[in-house]
Amino acid sequence: MRLARISSLLAGAALALLALPTWADEADAQFRSQFLEGALSWDQVLEIARAEGQVQFYYWGGDDNLNVWVDSVVAPAMAQLGITLRANRLTATKDAVDLVIAEAGAGRGIGDGSVDAIWLNGENFLALDRQQLLFGPFAQAVPNGANFAWDEADPRAQLNSRDFGTPTGGQEIPWSGEQYVCAANRALLPVADTPSTFEELRTYLQAHPGKFTYVKPPHYLGNTFVQQVLYAFNPDGTGAQPFQKSLDELGTEELARLSQPGLDFLKDLEPLLLGGPDAVRYPEDAAAAQGLFRNGEIHLHCEFGLYAVATRRDTGAYPETAEEIIFPQGQMIKNKSYIAIPSNTPNPAAALVLADYMASLEAQISKLELVGYPAGIDPWQLDPADAERLAAAAPPHFGVTQDELDANIAADTNASLVDVIEASWLAYVERKSTQPLAQIMAEAAAALAR
Amino acid sequence: MEQARLDWGAILALAPVTLVLGLLFCGALGLAIGQSLGFAPWYGINTFPDFSHFARLWSAPAFWAGLGLTLYYGVVSTLMALVLGVGLALALRKSFAGRRLFDHVYKLPLMIPYGVAIALAVLLLGNGGIASRLLAWVGVISDPAQFPRLINTHAGWGIMAVYVWKQTPFITLAVAAVLAGMGRQTQEAAAVLGAGRVRIFWEITLPQILPGLVSAALICLAFNLGAFEAPFILGGGYPDTLPVMAWRAFNDADYGRQLEGTAIALSIALVAGALLLLSLMAYRALERRHGRV
Repeated sequence: MRLARISSLLAGAALALLALPTWADEADAQFRSQFLEGALSWDQVLEIARAEGQVQFYYWGGDDNLNVWVDSVVAPAMAQLGITLRANRLTATKDAVDLVIAEAGAGRGIGDGSVDAIWLNGENFLALDRQQLLFGPFAQAVPNGANFAWDEADPRAQLNSRDFGTPTGGQEIPWSGEQYVCAANRALLPVADTPSTFEELRTYLQAHPGKFTYVKPPHYLGNTFVQQVLYAFNPDGTGAQPFQKSLDELGTEELARLSQPGLDFLKDLEPLLLGGPDAVRYPEDAAAAQGLFRNGEIHLHCEFGLYAVATRRDTGAYPETAEEIIFPQGQMIKNKSYIAIPSNTPNPAAALVLADYMASLEAQISKLELVGYPAGIDPWQLDPADAERLAAAAPPHFGVTQDELDANIAADTNASLVDVIEASWLAYVERKSTQPLAQIMAEAAAALAR
Repeated sequence: MEQARLDWGAILALAPVTLVLGLLFCGALGLAIGQSLGFAPWYGINTFPDFSHFARLWSAPAFWAGLGLTLYYGVVSTLMALVLGVGLALALRKSFAGRRLFDHVYKLPLMIPYGVAIALAVLLLGNGGIASRLLAWVGVISDPAQFPRLINTHAGWGIMAVYVWKQTPFITLAVAAVLAGMGRQTQEAAAVLGAGRVRIFWEITLPQILPGLVSAALICLAFNLGAFEAPFILGGGYPDTLPVMAWRAFNDADYGRQLEGTAIALSIALVAGALLLLSLMAYRALERRHGRV
């Protein structure tokens, strides 16, 4: 008798435990639909977030300044709202995207995953969007969504609603931005000799061979450099415009026609790069390239960083005589990066609270001051006093003015084109394939579609 | 006649090793073979059995160039470590001033990880490194580009320097242990009978240390063939050695390349396995010819 009672109790408890995940899933699914309909007030969201208690934030951890800022500014701010911030630092954002996709594939749906928020843009956002693994259009629904201009007709609001050409649909909220800025070592490269176009760079390298190199694709810094070359050598003279279309709209034939002059230029430039014609040296990542720049082996170094010269002169990553230059003229790629929330987030309310905090004025100002990353919010949406505070928090520029940098921007390439261009560089410039470019691109596109 | 009984003591003692080897090693090997032949449902790909990945890989010139470089860096550095290691072990038999200290110092590279050794190579041998800066300080060169390019070339001096630096003490240790155990009676007898130093080494010392030498050298060779960090950081770029090629395939955003990466990894295993088997067969033949087996 007693045995039967105990075993039935245990069976009941086991059944209850098994049913728990489904109860939790239903609660999360309900929260999601209620929030997206606008049925919840922000105070209710804050309360639910406090009950959830923690948020798993995944972001690229390669910048120490950023890591310190997350631990010493964001974590306490979240703690004040009753949420523990669990900062997961990645070597590559793709790892978090892979995790979300793998968990979704393993059947861990809404409320069951392990990623609450990811700092990403471009191909990574496209990967999640394509598999429909995003929480939903939350960006305009959070209070600090007012810090952004959402009117699609406004050209200044382009980057808020399109991420590398992919419509965001409000599924990610802008957090930071970057411009691809090149720095020159003034101790070795005087202002008079500084190139401002790619042809001038080639002339300079013919006089000083081996004094430049760029990070190699498939690293995103290499991809961006190659894209700028393609914009500059666009045979129609339309710069970045045709590269905003997706691969389906543009087609590999047209892409090959537009990319041919640029890739030919890079192929011809190779013997003039660091290491000369015998052993051309493309650094594998930003740290290696910065090392070459510091040692004076290269006179110019390009990477993402609007305020990079200011912050890196302080940390010692750049030489003290480094200055920014306007290169290439009219084609300096500018983009935004975002905080996205995946659909299988285990703590949806806490994720929303984190995203809202990241878009707040205070967070943006402290990030600008302490980390040197440009603000993601739109200054013209703020009160004049707040906008002034934001502008005053920015690190200084060396050798250029903010207006000059703003006057030479170009949009980033459509995310679906990035992998094809990267594969073409590897085949055409690195492996010196003799196939026609159109064929290389068609094969790359077919391989990616598989 | 006694019935054969299961030796439970031995089975239990061998169980942990068997489990680890079976599950982790053989299991991973089985999964790798499956994935390289197209079985990868976790990436949404199932074309088993599909030899196209191997076919595509083995028909690419980059693969053969990479294989050649891998073998070159592996074999040449093992041979250099062999020569230096045996020489050092023989020299350490004598006693000299500071020998006790040197006995500890020469083992230091064994304790320093490969990553640190690679950093040392970059710091010392790079164009912006210490050697280059010293030459600039005394005025021999005035620009980093004038320093000869030692690392990041396909000649692989940096890579081989790291391997030799780490593996010479390993071989010295193996050989010195054998020498210490052997004693010097045979060598002394030969010297008394009038044999020269070179003849003593070739005909007496070398056959005695050969077993330990072969196993240590094969361990070093196996490591060098599969090593990734040194060719990645100190290598000359395209064409890469095979482990670096495999890493690039695994790191790619395109999931289809994971299968290509697995095929490269298995090719490395095949080549290394074949090389080891041939070396052991040759060693066995040598020993049999000398009547020692």
